[in-house]
Amino acid sequence: MDARLRRVNKEIADCKNDKSSKIQLDLVDESPFHLKGSFPGPEGTPYEGGRFEVDIRIPDSYPFQPLKMKFITKVYHPNVSSASGAICLDILKDQWSPVLTLKSTLISLQSLLCSPEPDDPQDAEVAKHYMTSRSSFEETARYWTHIYAGGPDPKAKDGGSGGGSRDEVAMAGLEKAHVDQFEALGFERGKVIDVLRRLNYRGANVTKITEDRVVEELLKP
Amino acid sequence: MKVTIKNWNAIAQWRWDIGKEFDETDDEDLCGICRVAYEGCCPRCKMPGDDCPVLWGECGHVYHMHCIMQWIEQQPPNKQNCPMDRKPWITAERKTANTATQQTQAVQS
Ligand SMILES: [Zn+2]
Ligand SMILES: [Zn+2]
Ligand SMILES: [Zn+2]
Repeated sequence: MDARLRRVNKEIADCKNDKSSKIQLDLVDESPFHLKGSFPGPEGTPYEGGRFEVDIRIPDSYPFQPLKMKFITKVYHPNVSSASGAICLDILKDQWSPVLTLKSTLISLQSLLCSPEPDDPQDAEVAKHYMTSRSSFEETARYWTHIYAGGPDPKAKDGGSGGGSRDEVAMAGLEKAHVDQFEALGFERGKVIDVLRRLNYRGANVTKITEDRVVEELLKP
Repeated sequence: MKVTIKNWNAIAQWRWDIGKEFDETDDEDLCGICRVAYEGCCPRCKMPGDDCPVLWGECGHVYHMHCIMQWIEQQPPNKQNCPMDRKPWITAERKTANTATQQTQAVQS
């Protein structure tokens, strides 16, 4: 049997036998080299209560080349692309080591959720949000966890998930009052959300960005 | 009573002396790179033994020679580190490296 296959089979079996880590590995198709991993969001973070799925590709020269991983579940995090799920993590790049495994790499992703590194961002807009207002960032991350990862509804007092329609303003991490304010000037709501998100119209930044500047952006085609 | 030995088969067992008792359930006895026991050969080889030896680093970590060499050779010179502790890899001189312990027993049939 080929070395890579033997090692991967062993790793999948080890992961199945270990119930304590709550890390799961599933086949995606016929190939044992395309997997789906998942883990619970770490406690005490905005990702708590959610379950996060990761697409895993095992390269031909594994374990001498790093695993390829990206989030399937949308995650609001400075080191994860909010659009594509691409991950910025050193061990998936130049800090890879052949003694790392599927499980240990997924555990590293889990701990990345605990400790964002905004200085080396994958998603610059999310990183700016994180740097500008931590509480607003966490609120948005919690909302994404609820919408995409099955986490509890942050608005429900009891913490249970209560359905409800998706709130585009909360998704973008903005204040409803700000969006209303510019929408009242006659701009389309979706465009207002887009512009305010790009400008990082949050927290202390709001006082630094003039209304004219926002309007100027809104007028751009 | 007189016993006549008509036929016998020799069975030999050997293992690398890695300085501790072998425990199959323990990850410590597996090459961290290929996850095969040190006793077995690396995935590229067919037969365990002197053709597929194990190598010690000065840091104390042990790998199949073929496994660690494949890793070291693909790394740039400034990053030829031990995969476990990321310290620069230096192969340790070790006297016991070639003395596989051996026991032979005769089976009567
Ligand atoms: Zn090996
Ligand atoms: Zn070998
Ligand atoms: Zn070492």
